[in-house]
Amino acid sequence: KPCVPPAAKLTADEDAPEEMWKEVMDREEGVLRPAAFCERVRRRRVAAIDLSNRKEIVSAHRGGVNSLQVDLTECRFLLSGASDGSAAVYDIQHPTDHEGGGRVEKHRCLFVVDKQHGHGHKFAVSSVAWYPVDTGLFITGSFDHHIKVWDTNTTQVVMDFKMPGKVYGTAMSAIATTHMLIAAGTEDVQVRLCDIASGAFTHTLSGHRVWSTLYPCSMSNKQFGLRDLPQMADGIMAVEWSTSSEWVLMTGGCDGAIRFWDIRRAGCFLVLDQSQTQFGRRPPFSESSLKQVSLSQLISMRETSPANKIVSHQKKPHGRGANKLPIFHQGIHRKGSNLQRLHPGMSSSRNRATAHYGSVTGLRPTEDGMYLLSTGSDSRLRLWDIESGCNTLVNFEATHLQTKSLQLAVTEDSSLVFVPCMTALKAFDMWSGTTFRVFRGHYESVNCCFFNSHDQELYTGSNDRQILVWSPPSEVIAEGDELTSELHNPLADQDQWSD
Amino acid sequence: MDAERERGGGRTVARLIEKATTSTDRDVDPRLLKAIKSAVRSSDDELRAAVDSLMGKMKKEHSQVRYLAVLIIDELFMRSKLFRSLLINNFDHFLSLSIGFRRNMPLPPPSNIASVLREKSIELLEKWHASFGVHYRQLRLGFEYLKNTLRYQFPNRLERAARLHQQRQEREIRSMEILLNKFNNLKENYSSIKAEIQSTLDQLGECLEIVQNKEGIFSFSLEEDESEPEEFTSSTLWQIRQESLREGKKVSENSENSAVFDALREFYKLIVSKHLLSVQEWMSVLVRVDTTDKRFRDFAMKEFIDVRNLIQSARKKCEELGCVLPSSTPLEQEENDMWEEGTIGVPDYDNARLRDASSDNYVAIADKKVQELGDCGSSIDNPDMMDGKSVATLVVDKDGDKGASSEGTSNHESSVPSSLKSKLLTEAPVVKWGPFLESWGSKQDAMVNYRGLELESHWGRVEQDAVIPAEKIAELSSNWCLYEEQTIEIKPCLAPLKNGRLCQRRDLKVCPFHGPIIPRDSNGNPLLETSQRGGKGIVEEHSKDAAQNSAKGNQLTEEDEEKSNCEQVYDSLSVEESPSSGKGLMKQLAEQAVRNVRERDKEVRTSKRARLAKVREHNEAVLRKAAYTSTPLSSTFTEEGTSSDPMLPKVQKPSLSSMLRKKVTAKDRLTHRLLKTRVTDAAAKQLMQAEDANYREAYPNQW
Repeated sequence: KPCVPPAAKLTADEDAPEEMWKEVMDREEGVLRPAAFCERVRRRRVAAIDLSNRKEIVSAHRGGVNSLQVDLTECRFLLSGASDGSAAVYDIQHPTDHEGGGRVEKHRCLFVVDKQHGHGHKFAVSSVAWYPVDTGLFITGSFDHHIKVWDTNTTQVVMDFKMPGKVYGTAMSAIATTHMLIAAGTEDVQVRLCDIASGAFTHTLSGHRVWSTLYPCSMSNKQFGLRDLPQMADGIMAVEWSTSSEWVLMTGGCDGAIRFWDIRRAGCFLVLDQSQTQFGRRPPFSESSLKQVSLSQLISMRETSPANKIVSHQKKPHGRGANKLPIFHQGIHRKGSNLQRLHPGMSSSRNRATAHYGSVTGLRPTEDGMYLLSTGSDSRLRLWDIESGCNTLVNFEATHLQTKSLQLAVTEDSSLVFVPCMTALKAFDMWSGTTFRVFRGHYESVNCCFFNSHDQELYTGSNDRQILVWSPPSEVIAEGDELTSELHNPLADQDQWSD
Repeated sequence: MDAERERGGGRTVARLIEKATTSTDRDVDPRLLKAIKSAVRSSDDELRAAVDSLMGKMKKEHSQVRYLAVLIIDELFMRSKLFRSLLINNFDHFLSLSIGFRRNMPLPPPSNIASVLREKSIELLEKWHASFGVHYRQLRLGFEYLKNTLRYQFPNRLERAARLHQQRQEREIRSMEILLNKFNNLKENYSSIKAEIQSTLDQLGECLEIVQNKEGIFSFSLEEDESEPEEFTSSTLWQIRQESLREGKKVSENSENSAVFDALREFYKLIVSKHLLSVQEWMSVLVRVDTTDKRFRDFAMKEFIDVRNLIQSARKKCEELGCVLPSSTPLEQEENDMWEEGTIGVPDYDNARLRDASSDNYVAIADKKVQELGDCGSSIDNPDMMDGKSVATLVVDKDGDKGASSEGTSNHESSVPSSLKSKLLTEAPVVKWGPFLESWGSKQDAMVNYRGLELESHWGRVEQDAVIPAEKIAELSSNWCLYEEQTIEIKPCLAPLKNGRLCQRRDLKVCPFHGPIIPRDSNGNPLLETSQRGGKGIVEEHSKDAAQNSAKGNQLTEEDEEKSNCEQVYDSLSVEESPSSGKGLMKQLAEQAVRNVRERDKEVRTSKRARLAKVREHNEAVLRKAAYTSTPLSSTFTEEGTSSDPMLPKVQKPSLSSMLRKKVTAKDRLTHRLLKTRVTDAAAKQLMQAEDANYREAYPNQW
């Protein structure tokens, strides 16, 4: 079985062409399986991602870009929301015009809805999302307390949800088949689920705490060793649906907690605690490896501080035995066993565990739904094992994160995580936490990024109003270009030594 | 081994860069730059080392170092692809170091070089963007960010050049249109233009014929003479003879043929000043115009060349005849007469009109122009046929100065009484020649670049169509004259000397031996002493004077250059003589009274001023003292300053503290002088000491 550790694979892109041909031969001979072959090609392309000179998105925004998403059905339309209250859609497959002798493809927006539009948002658009089923609808959440659902073809508002406060985050489940709910994180501490079908709030999930109740006034930021913690901020900064279960919602609040909700039941079933830890990723699920890993887990637990031991003992049974159970069952079972007297939902709502010091600013589950990445205003990036609810203790190298809500991106194979770090975008190796690449190009702080796994392209939006495309180099096109035009072009990109 | 070499190579480049960036010049030493380039070119490792070292230099907290590094970076950036791709990776960082657009990373001191660095970097960024922007997204991003988001001003060289080019093209198109219009105009009016010139030429020819016929017999005889002595005379003699013969051959103007000569001159003037010019202009139009009608163009060209030759031959004939001044163009003529000394009142205007016009610089130029144009107008029926320029001048001149022009035109056609003109001429003010005469009465705008040259000034863009408005021209060419000092004769003292003669010393006001210079009679006795004396003796003095003067009245009138301070007295004496001296006396008394009052007033004023000056002095002294104490070196000065007269300002060395001190103004100096006359030094000192304490109460605004 060709099971190459991803980190080792990523660094080996020096002799990519030869390796590629070898893989093609292997594939031809049947040594390499189709999926593995695809995987390798993808990985190599991702490793070569750099600022694209060819593809250029002409930003239609006059404010910082806050949110980006490529549609999930065609992987063709990029939706962006900006702080000038505008949202725009770009076709990222077909350029609208060319420049520089066909060298630069410009992608102008197909349409933009801004303040000039009769029903546009008044204030900054904080989050945008495509309707997961098709590109006929998209939703925008804004600081003007509204979530709007738009018809893409007519660019008209088809649904308008009035929220109790600024909308920080919206999400729709990509795998949902039985509901059409928009999860909205707002200034309010309660998470609301908006139903597009009925136009009403179906759920109001309460569990996150108000900042002031969490920390008494006497405690200042300095005691936590935090920089400019948003004291006044309240509410839910990040909302994400689980990628494995359509009923599970993950929310990160300003109280520093990450809560998991099963929308079919009352209350949250899991609160991530940064002090509950495990080392690294769990081994692939197999009977043979189970014993070894549990041993190593035990060792790791012994090494951790005695204070953590109690907590570790608590979660031990789930880590081992309850793997096959669905998540919600596991949660209920666990709560029920620990605190019998309380209603299961109520018990976890009393849980004051925090995932970050300060507020949680971004959440991103991996594609397989097993892990969760979170960023906090404590400038930390944490990787969580959703199954066990443990902090995996991956030390992502020193970063400096913005304290506003961020949008993270993860590659399809969960090998890299892209995190906006001030003016740069950093790619970290998910399992070792080392910085794989730093993408520099923006002139002001980066707010969001989106990884398009279809084309292995990365899109970043920043406060400098630009949307940049990062893509693997398209060598074939570049070489063809040079052959035809370099000879005639006096401004060709060649060495010009006069002396 | 390889690494070793690499490191060594990197070191050389780094050393070179280090050396190049430590100078204080505005440019990188070209030899060092060349060395860097050749070193970098030798291998990619060198280049990488250069990038690292340059970025290290860019991080230095000194703008000069960064500036030089930027210059080197530019050199390499424009040449090496690898360098570009390496630098571009961290381009935002580079820009923040070179342009300093991030607020938390301003450019380091010195500030003047920092601004130069910023400007240079912006300029270079634009250049790089223009040449390599297509290849590097980072370049485009940086450029767009600085331009659109931060609104930096880029020099915008390319666009400016394009705009200039476009403007030039537009201008060319416009001029071509104008030419084409002219050409079409010519096509329409061709026959009439030609007929007109031809008629003038014919008339001229007729006149010439008449003149030559009259002299025909005489010249024949001369020609017969001419043929004889060819063989035997020496060349010089022969030449002299030839000359004299030619002179003799020239038809002299007399009363009989004067009318013919007049006509001849008119025609000559007409063809030279108008037809020749217009023909030449039409020819240039034909040469420059780009038209499809080649046939007509060639035909007209030929015709015009013929016409021009005809005109020139006719002109030559006229000049040979000597009927006109040989100066060819009116411009030259003007220039010539500008330099002639003019005289007023040449009486014969009827006969020598032309000469007058040229020699008389008191007559306005416009006047003469109108005369010329009047000539044209008399022979040309429709002025439309003339080219635009002359029409314009004609119109302008005609309504420009009507008085003179109507005078001039009517003058030569129908001999208006010449006395009127001469009268006017005598009345006319004498004005020195100056450039203002060129635009006399003209209301036309003038082109700034009237030569039509393509000038690219290095001070900026040259606007080709710029026009100076007429008012501005008038303002610019307003008449000016230098102040001419009137030479005054300094009168001799004329005081009687011991030897019986009069003192011949010439002093302006006061003779060192005989006191103030006053008007004296022929014996040296002063005519007036009243002005020097006090008020009490005036009556007697005056009566005495009056008696004296009445006796010597005649002598006094003889010395008519002399003027006394009291002119009235003088007048009364010279005009009224002695009988009415009582009246003059009264007048003098009144005058004296007035003078007394004024003097008293003045005294009061000066004393007041003196007091104020003292106040000022005191303030100054305090300031000075403060300055002294602030500088340790000035202790000696302090002593000097206190020991000597505090009223007099001391001349001191300039220093920093001296800049703070108040400057002594002219007013102060005047008050000092007044004080010196009125108040003695001792008194002043005493005053200072005594009143120093009281000042505080008396003048609250002092120290």
